[in-house]
Amino acid sequence: MSSPERPKGEAASVQPDGNTANATPHMMIPKPDELDVEFYQAVVKAGALRVQRCSACGTWTHPARYYCPQCSSGDFTFAAPSGRATVYSYTVSHFSVEPAWQPFVPYVTIVVELAEGPRLVATARNIRPDEVVIGMPMRIVPETKSPDFAIFWAEPAGE
Amino acid sequence: MTRATGMGFSGKAAIVGIGETDYVRGTDQSILQMILGASMAAIKDAGLKPSDVDAVIPPPGFVAWDEIAAHLGIPDVRYTACPQMGGASPTAALNTAAMAIALGVASTVLVPIGWNGYSAMRPRPGARPNKRRFSAAFFEIVKNYYAPYGLRSAPWWYSLYLQRYVKQYNVPPEAAGAVALACRAHAQLNDKALMRGRPLTMDEYLASAYITEPLRKLDCCVETDCAAAVVVTSAERAKDMPHVPVTILGGAEGHPNRPDELINRKDVLDLGLDLAAPRAFAMAGVKPADMDFLQVYDCFTYIVLLELEALGYAERGGAAEFVKNGNIQLGGKYPMNTHGGLMSQGHCWGMNHIVEATRQLRHDAGPAQVAGCELGLVTGYGDLGDGSIAILARGAA
Repeated sequence: MSSPERPKGEAASVQPDGNTANATPHMMIPKPDELDVEFYQAVVKAGALRVQRCSACGTWTHPARYYCPQCSSGDFTFAAPSGRATVYSYTVSHFSVEPAWQPFVPYVTIVVELAEGPRLVATARNIRPDEVVIGMPMRIVPETKSPDFAIFWAEPAGE
Repeated sequence: MTRATGMGFSGKAAIVGIGETDYVRGTDQSILQMILGASMAAIKDAGLKPSDVDAVIPPPGFVAWDEIAAHLGIPDVRYTACPQMGGASPTAALNTAAMAIALGVASTVLVPIGWNGYSAMRPRPGARPNKRRFSAAFFEIVKNYYAPYGLRSAPWWYSLYLQRYVKQYNVPPEAAGAVALACRAHAQLNDKALMRGRPLTMDEYLASAYITEPLRKLDCCVETDCAAAVVVTSAERAKDMPHVPVTILGGAEGHPNRPDELINRKDVLDLGLDLAAPRAFAMAGVKPADMDFLQVYDCFTYIVLLELEALGYAERGGAAEFVKNGNIQLGGKYPMNTHGGLMSQGHCWGMNHIVEATRQLRHDAGPAQVAGCELGLVTGYGDLGDGSIAILARGAA
């Protein structure tokens, strides 16, 4: 699909250099509860992505659920996925009502599909909007924002 | 004349009253005032008094059933329930009303909705303050997993899967444009449409700036202050009312698995309507091809394309062909959103679609009348993909 408004060759505006310290100074930092806070605490503690894994049948689930959607077991851990992931879908935002995001348009938000199955939302970095293609390999890099929350970046993982 | 199938609530209840406020951008009225105004208009349109109403199905947020009953003066509420599925709520509420009537739990049900979709962000100085909010469980998921990424409201959430639809099936922007143009063309015939007097061409549509891909500004419906309501009663009682009854021939709701989250479904393009539509057609005993018009929930053009596929008018990815060549415009085979829809009349959560379907089947739709129409459908789409549908027929079933 054509993209008449997007300047060709313009660098991605969300911190392409990887310096994220001031990337989103006023972004919404949630205070999750229930299993969502357990998920984020596991990520913060590991400094890497963790995903709920059923202790009975091994099914990976995100967001975390009290009962496994596959086998209904209530026993689980937050485990380390393989790290292999691809672009499942994405959107390029050319407009934002949020002051925190307005300096970064056009920013790319990616639905990343892990090899284990679950998908999660992440902001793209180190890639231009017009380079994003469904199916391309990505890696997820969390960045701790509070003891109870981390955001996820999606970076091209190469072939 | 059509016949009820005997399944579920088929043919047991009919819409006998409709009411709506003006569709405006900027009002001095509170949400409660607008909802009460539309409700009273619907009750009077049915030739009834508030005391004739014995059930209220309120909107999912903004106002509650008890204040509606208290302000209107409904003395004996025998039943209340509240479908909570955003824009799928009014059509689901219509079906809920039909169920309550079919079981004899209630005799006459008021179903109103309304909001300050424009003024919430831009209150007029001196206007009554509106602290009332819409509420939904999925806001927890939004807060924890979408909003931190600059995805604060519907266009940004839905784009996460609509872009996959576009890429997977090579959906051309002209297909979404055909939806926008049909709604806008029909709005030119409607005195109550916000976009009356502002016709739209495909070139103008294609030049519209992206909000978040694939959604351009002109793929989005219009923020509106408004309210609308319908009154539903038994098919028996409906025979003696002022207007030709509009019978609920079939209806259903459906919800994607999982309902509270958008991107971890087996297929992210599955809508609740994919599940609901076959159930509703079975209850009604009719086929998609039997419809004389379609009032399809049009919060965003691309979602209309997916709904048309869910309804059975095209295979997945094939709606772009269906909407071509004026097929969904008045004069085409399936005139859609003959009032202008959410896109060009105004956003009243799809209750305006039910009101318009009723006008059409009464043969009271003015210059937008689909000549001789007997059957039509209304859909709802809400929250993170909830779906609802009602199949309506002119006269007693």
